[in-house]
This record gives sequence, structure tokens and C-alpha cells, in this order.
Amino acid sequence: MKKTNTVFTLAVSRLRYQKSRTLLTGIAIMLTAMLLMAIGTVGVAMFDMNRQMFSEMDYHAIFKDLAADQVTILTKHINVETLSTTETFADIVNGKMNGALVFRESIKDERLTDEDALSNSQTLESGHYPETEEEICSSPIFFRRVGAEPVIGGKVTLSFRVNGKGEIQTKEFTISGLEPDVEISEEIDDSRLMWAAYVSKALLSEYEDAGLYEPSLNATLRVYGEDELTYDEIADRINSVAADIGVDETHVNLNKEYLVTATDPGTEIIAIVAMISLIVILFSALVIYSIYYVGVITDVQEIGKLKALGASRRQIAKMFLWQGAIVSVFAIPIGLLIGFLLPYFLFPLVLYAYQSGSAISSYSRDAVEAVIGQIHMFSLPVLFTVALAALITVAVSLWKPIRLAKKVSPAEAIRYQESSSNRKSRKGHKEVKVAALTLANLTRNRKRTTVTILTMGLSCVLFICVSAVLSSISVEDMARRNIPRGDFHIALEYSLHDKEYPENNLDSLVQQEYFNDAFLTQLLSIEGIESVEREHGRILSSTDKESLLYEDYENRLPLSYFTRDEAAALNAVLNQGSIDYDRMAANNEIAYTSDYWFKQFGLSLGETYPLTLYDGHRKIPFTATLTAVTTPDNGFPLYIPPLIMTEDTWNSLGLTCDPTTDIYLYTDETHYDSVKAALMDIVAENEHFTLYSMDVEMRISRSGVGLTRDPLYLLLVLIAVIGFISLINTMITSIVTRKKELGVLQAIGLSGRQLVRMLAGEGLVFTAGTLIISLTLGNAAGYLLFLWAKKEHLMSISRYHYPLRETIGLTLVLVVGQLLITLLIRKKMEKESLIDRIRNQE
Amino acid sequence: MKKQADIILETKDLCKYYGTSDNLVRAVDHIDLKIQPREFVSIVGKSGSGKSTLLHILGALDNPTSGKVFLDGEDISSFKEDALSKIRRRKIGFIFQSYNLIPSLNVWENIVLPLGLDGKPLDESFINDIIETLELSEKVRNLPNTLSGGQQQRCAIARAIAAKPSIILADEPTGNLDTKTGDEVMALLKTSAKKYGQTLVVITHNEEIAQMADRTIMLADGRIVSSGESEVVSNEEN
Repeated sequence: MKKTNTVFTLAVSRLRYQKSRTLLTGIAIMLTAMLLMAIGTVGVAMFDMNRQMFSEMDYHAIFKDLAADQVTILTKHINVETLSTTETFADIVNGKMNGALVFRESIKDERLTDEDALSNSQTLESGHYPETEEEICSSPIFFRRVGAEPVIGGKVTLSFRVNGKGEIQTKEFTISGLEPDVEISEEIDDSRLMWAAYVSKALLSEYEDAGLYEPSLNATLRVYGEDELTYDEIADRINSVAADIGVDETHVNLNKEYLVTATDPGTEIIAIVAMISLIVILFSALVIYSIYYVGVITDVQEIGKLKALGASRRQIAKMFLWQGAIVSVFAIPIGLLIGFLLPYFLFPLVLYAYQSGSAISSYSRDAVEAVIGQIHMFSLPVLFTVALAALITVAVSLWKPIRLAKKVSPAEAIRYQESSSNRKSRKGHKEVKVAALTLANLTRNRKRTTVTILTMGLSCVLFICVSAVLSSISVEDMARRNIPRGDFHIALEYSLHDKEYPENNLDSLVQQEYFNDAFLTQLLSIEGIESVEREHGRILSSTDKESLLYEDYENRLPLSYFTRDEAAALNAVLNQGSIDYDRMAANNEIAYTSDYWFKQFGLSLGETYPLTLYDGHRKIPFTATLTAVTTPDNGFPLYIPPLIMTEDTWNSLGLTCDPTTDIYLYTDETHYDSVKAALMDIVAENEHFTLYSMDVEMRISRSGVGLTRDPLYLLLVLIAVIGFISLINTMITSIVTRKKELGVLQAIGLSGRQLVRMLAGEGLVFTAGTLIISLTLGNAAGYLLFLWAKKEHLMSISRYHYPLRETIGLTLVLVVGQLLITLLIRKKMEKESLIDRIRNQE
Repeated sequence: MKKQADIILETKDLCKYYGTSDNLVRAVDHIDLKIQPREFVSIVGKSGSGKSTLLHILGALDNPTSGKVFLDGEDISSFKEDALSKIRRRKIGFIFQSYNLIPSLNVWENIVLPLGLDGKPLDESFINDIIETLELSEKVRNLPNTLSGGQQQRCAIARAIAAKPSIILADEPTGNLDTKTGDEVMALLKTSAKKYGQTLVVITHNEEIAQMADRTIMLADGRIVSSGESEVVSNEEN
């Protein structure tokens, strides 16, 4: 005789009978698996992309400012695996272009076999690296930029200053090789780019022999033992190599990102993936749990009947486990598939969009496409881990409800009416209206009400908390670093202490009074410019005192001032000392504006500096005491130089020159484009001017921010969807299971409108509870997360933005969503006649 | 058009059919019925004879397939759901076999619920009087699941009377109770209906209860097979 598994059959028929609950559980489990799989897949993809990207920059460290003999020792050093050197020979002089002539040489690569000759031409598209004094090579766009045709054998004339100082030289070069081409957005200002062209050793030697060039080499190297050593051991090895050739640790730059990846592959990615996954699992478990929990509570009578018919506790547990397993068998594979396909198609698209959308792309379009095509995303271990994690999530969510179901006694089948079992009476109201009815129902099973509000509340806490950080990742904040106010910023580019061309130094430029009233009036006459504001002026200072503070800046530091009103903002970001406007004004005190460099330079407060201030050619002796360190974000509250004094002190200097170096322009929106065109013409006429425009800054920031922010928002929306499923479940269960009771209420005179008011009232209490929890806890947690992100310099987060849009969105979705669900269920319910509903379950 | 005032409930050619041609069930089949104010009518018949369906249509819980129902002279068969719910809460008190109390409300709240839904002022002394009559004074704060069947049904009766409806419809009110309790409950129901001047229509299987009524209507296959007439009715017809 065929043995039928009664418990299994029962589980299947229960799943069929409770269609909506089965569907909701299925969706929740499917979404859980999908989220986990998507997170895992993105992790795999990012790991693979990192691996591919680092294979191009797999050096361990750069040693800076080496002499030739130090390089010779390095070449022979037993621990050095590969070595190449870079020398910056000269700065290119070409209008506002930032460029350098560089010599690069691969000296040693022990990883290559004898057959692979050490070649310097590997990365060239065509031709060879320069060999004679006349030869030069770079990317085609470089040659186009300096007005030459990018062909092998073509001629290009360049002006340059050897070692970045001395007299300008001019020389005609022949193009010997071309690198792969690079795309650069036309709108990007020259001052934001760094250009490089390669020249030959012969050229450097020629200048060195003539005493015109002092070589300073940077060595890029790998040491042995990458596969065996830990991060710390490899760092020690690098530092000992540096010590062996007499290089100070401050001149050693470790390639930390690569070393972390190489010595401990993927730890960081695994940690992030694990953390996000854990949050998703916890949260999904809570939602699935609440669906099952509410299910058991409403099924008490049925469970009791089953027990009365002889079902054992084990069989009841088995029945629930079967239910979970059957739903999972369908939901998890679907989730895994979608979870893999989503990133499989979206990840390259996102990458591609940001690569081509960003202002500067370091790879050509083809190269990006090639990398994207090669990203490896599928991982069997990830697939199994996710499937297992989803199953465990379901099992954990079932644990408590099953225990509850096991405890149901057969007697409850007959007597049980859903209500808190220990309560015998209630105080009640003298009169019962719709509101009282609503309230009575909510308090009938406080545990269920609490579980529901908590589940939804916590999911929304997560939503609000992450939103707080995401909304603080502000594209505008980042853009405002270069344009603190207004729509355009014209900056005066100046040198601090150029001995050969002193006319470019700030103290000379201020005498030109570029930003005088006549110029500002000219700007204001442009149609669309509403106002022009001068930033606080700045002048140069120098000191006789020996101090690292001035040493790294050619003994010239710009100095500005802050007003009494701005003191509060500076105090808010104070690191050391104190900012007291009156005291500082009275005692000629100054503040330093970077905690990082203050520590790097090993400065201390209370030190007195005998300064010389440069008002054009007039020198003002001034003795200042450093009494505070404060680190305002760039552009907030003001565009700030390293040293600041009070406005009172500044005014007492009696400056005769106009120290303005920056102006901000406000335009009306309709004329933005024409104003920009006019300003570009004006700026082009003055080689010292740089124009920053808001649209370009926004575009640059957006391409940096969006890559991280948008996928997180997607994750957030999915979390919200799972949370919403919990709301739908609660509403459906609470209405469907009371079908009879609601029918009775209608039979004794509850009108359709009163019914809707009652149900909507219940839903609104859930919504209100959810909102209260999420807005208090969520905002508090969100602010803490923001502070942490700010401290860690995550995504350049600097200012807290209250997630207003997200909050309003959440409120609307909750309120409208639950009203809609109420109306939909009621409509569906009313398809059944009142009589049928009252008879239901009889 | 207003009908005679001394007929409180009347049906004309009342039909309720379920299903389609092959499977047509004539639950109520051309029933003409007149019930007078303060009359106590019992409806008897086998299972499936159409008793409950008739009672549900009389109580504005269900719509007839055809025919008319006059309540206090007004044709309610064409009323929309909202108007029907007003009729239910003002003119009709319904008592179910399985009590159907609201589990989250205590006894008092269950009793005054129809008044609250109607926004009527509460006549406390009247409610207390009902509670006393139905011997529920000790239990006003109890939740329904702590009451015995008889107590629950008494509470349901109190709820049906509370809004001072003109008609009380009871669908096997003693069906879930033992004989003794059933008799007690029925006696209380009859007493209160008389005391508050209400018309009482009761479905029952119980011979004794049927005999307590002024008149017994017997149904079979959706039709009235006999309609024992009381004095009042015969007087009216003369």
C-alpha cells in the first residue's frame, strides 16, 4: 500500500488555502535571496575588478627624491624584485596648462624570464620611447593640446622650466612614440588637468652636464615575498630597503591599496559584503518571522483542531517546517537567479555610465569596454552560501512561531477567540463609537500589534538611518568646495616665491589690482550677472624663524582674516587652542587651518613667529602667536588659506594694495549660459585667472558621488519593499481573519463608511507607531552614522542634510499604501455576501 | 406609499434563488407574509427549508432575487447598503445562534455598540434595566470569552434590544445551549420583547419554543406550508 505523508499533504493544502499569506512569505523569501545574491555578486565583481585594476599598478612603494647613486644601490639590493624610476625634468610653460616633461626607465624586473626582454615600449600604441635629445612621446591628445599633429616623426615646439624654476627654455622635439589616446571632456578647465610627456635620458644628461638640471628621482619598486608576507612584514621590508640606501621614511610612499589587496585578498570587500548581508538577513528574518508569527496566532483554532484529532507536537512542527521548505524551494532559486542577473546586467552599465560620464576618463572607451567584458561575477561558493543563508533565515524565522504552535492546546480549538488569554475583563468605555472599536481591536492582542509596529518600525529605522548618510553625500557640497558661494568663481592663480618670474608671485599680482572696482563694474554690466562678491583678501607672509610651517612653502604662506561673525563657525570645527575674537585681536594671535598638517609638521601652540607681511612691495613686520588650530571644510565657512588673523588685526595693517584673489558671481538662471560664455572670454584674456563654474563642478562631483550612492539607494528601496510586505501582511491578516467579526459588526449596523474608518484607523495607528519609531530612532542612528562617516571621510561627507525627501516619501508611502491596501481588501471582501461572511467558520 | 400602520413587516412574492438554471436552488420561493407589531412569530422547518434565508432578508442582511419587503410600510428591498445598515441599527435587532459577540469588547460595550454606531445618546437607565432583566449585572466588564454560552446569548439579546428596535429577529437563539439554559434564555427573550414592546421573529427547531409563539410559520422547500394564525392576525383579516 502506498504510504502517504499526511503532514506533507496538510502543509501543501494549508499553503493553497492561505494563498495571500503564502504569496507574501514567498515574496519576502525571494527578495531576501535576491538581495543577498545581488550583494554577493557585486562583491565578486568588485573583487575581480580590483584585481584587474591593480594588475596595472602592482608596485609596492615609491621612494621620493633619490640621488643617482641611491638608485644604483637599489638596483643591486637583494630584496628588490622590480624597479623603475621617474624623473620630473621640467615644467611645461604653455598658458594655463599644467604639464611636465618626464623621464621614465624600467631598470629591473626579476619576474620576467630571459626570453621576455625588459621593454619600455610595452604600453605604447606605436613608435618607441625617446632615445635622443630631440625625441618625445605622449598621448595624441597631449600633442593636439600643444598645437602639434600627433604623428610619429611630427615636430612639436615646447617651452619649459627645468626643475620648475630658472629661465624658460624653448625646444623643438620630434614625436617618437604615441600612447593610447585618452578622452577628456572639453568643458574641463585646464587648471584641473595634469599633463605629462616623456623625454630621453640623453636630454636630461645634456642639461645635467651643463649644470642646468639637478636630478631628483622617484623610484617605483616591488620587494620579494608578496605571496608569503603579511602587510606589516612587507611594509617593514620596504622600510628596511629605504633605510639601507639612506632614505627617510617620510620619503617612502607605500602603495597601501595594492598591498592590502595583495597580502590579504578581498578582506575589505568581504567585510563590507558580510556586514550588509548580515543587516539584510536580520531584517528579512524579522519580516518573515512576523508573517509566520501572525499566522500562528490567527491559526490557533485550526492548530487546536489538528491536535484534538491527534496531531503530535512534532507533527505540528513538521507541518510548519514543510510549509517553509516548500515556499523556499520555489522562492530561493527565483531570488538567486534575479539576484545574479540584476548586477550581471546593471553593474557594467553603471560602471560604463560613470566612466564615460565623468569629466576625465583615464581609459579610452574601448579599454573600459574590454575591462567590463572581462569582469568575472559568478562564484559557486557565493551561490551556495547565499542559498544556505536564505534557508537559515527562513528556519530562524520559523523557530519561535513553531514553538508557539507546539504549545497550543486542543481545548483552545473550541474556546479560543483571538484575544489576550490572561485577560478576563476590561474596563471599557461607556459609549462605543468607531474610534473605541478601533482601539479595542488594537489592544486585543498587544503582542501582535507590538510585533508588527516593531518590524515595520525597524525596517524604517534602517531606511531613515541610511538615508541620513546618503542625503548627506551631497553633490552640491562637493561642488561648493571650489565655489563656496554664487554660480561662478574667478580665482587669481599665483606663485608663492618664484625667483625667476617674481611677477607671478602674489605680492606682485596684488599690485595689479585685477579685481578693482572697474573690473567688477565691467562684470556687472554683463546681462544676467546679479552681483559680485569679493572673498576675504589674502597676502603673503614669511618668517626668519626656522619652522617646517614655512619650509615646505618656499618660505611664503598666504594669510587672510576672519570676521567676528565667522569666529563661531571656526570654533565649531576647532581642534586645539581656542578662538576668542577679542583676545586674538588684542594680542596679534593667528590660527592655523589644518589639523592634519599641524600634526605632520610637528607644530605646537603658543609659538611666536616674527613675520614679514607683503603688502605689494611694502613689507610689514608683524609678530604673531599661533594659538588655535581649526579645520574648516574647504569653502566653508570661507575659502581659506593656511593662516588667519582677526579682521581687526587685518585692518590695523593699513594695506595699500587690493588683496582680493577670489570673486564669486551670482547670476539669474535664465542667463547662466550666456554669462558663462562671456566669463570664459574674459578669463581667457588674463593668464592668471581661472574660472570655476557651478555646472562643471556639479558634473565632476556627481560622477564621483553617484557610483556609490545610487546602488545604495537601490538597496534601500529593496529594504523598504520587504518592510512594506510586512505591512501588507498585517493588514491582510487582520482583516481576513476577522471577516466574520466584521460581518457581524455590519449586521448590527456598522455602515460601509464606518467600516473603512475603523480599518483605516487601525492602519493609521500602525503607520503612526512606525513613523514615531523610525523618526526618533532612525534619525538618531542616522546622525551617529553621519558623524562616523564624516570622521572616516567617507564620500567627502561633511555636512548633515536631514533626509527630508526620504522622510516625506516614507510617510506618504506608508499612509497611502495602507489606505490603498485597506480599500482593496475591503473591496475584495465585499464580493462575498454579508451572510456568507457571518457564516464563515461556523 | 405608506401601507397600513398595524403591519410592521410584510413580504410580497418574495424570492431568493441561488445558482444557475441546472443547479437552481429556490431558497425562498414566492413567500407572502405579514407580521404585526408586538407579535411573536416562530418559523420552523427542516434544514434547508429556507428559514435562515428568509430571516436574513427580513433583517436587511441579504437582498431578495425578486419580490418586496416592507418594513414599517417602507419597501426596503431596493435600498442601497448604506441605507440598509441604518435600518439594521435602528429598526432591527439580530440574534445569532453562535452569539457573535465582538471579542475585544466587554459585555457593556457589546450591548451599547449599536447605539454608538448610530451616534444615539445613551439611555443608561434603560441599558441597566435590560442588563438587570437579563441577569448580566455581575458581568458587565467581562470579555465574551469568559462567559458561558447562556451568558453570551443573554448578552447578544441585550445587544439586540438596546437600540430599541421595533423588530427582533433570532436565528435559533438556543441552538447552542442545553435545554435548561435554552428555556431560560427563551423565557428572558420573550419577557423582554413584551416589556419593551418589540416584535419577535424566532427560527427554531424546538417544539416547545415554537409553541410559546403567537403564531408558527412552517416552511418547506422555500414555501410556507402552514401559517398558524394567532388571534390578532385573524382579527386584522376580518
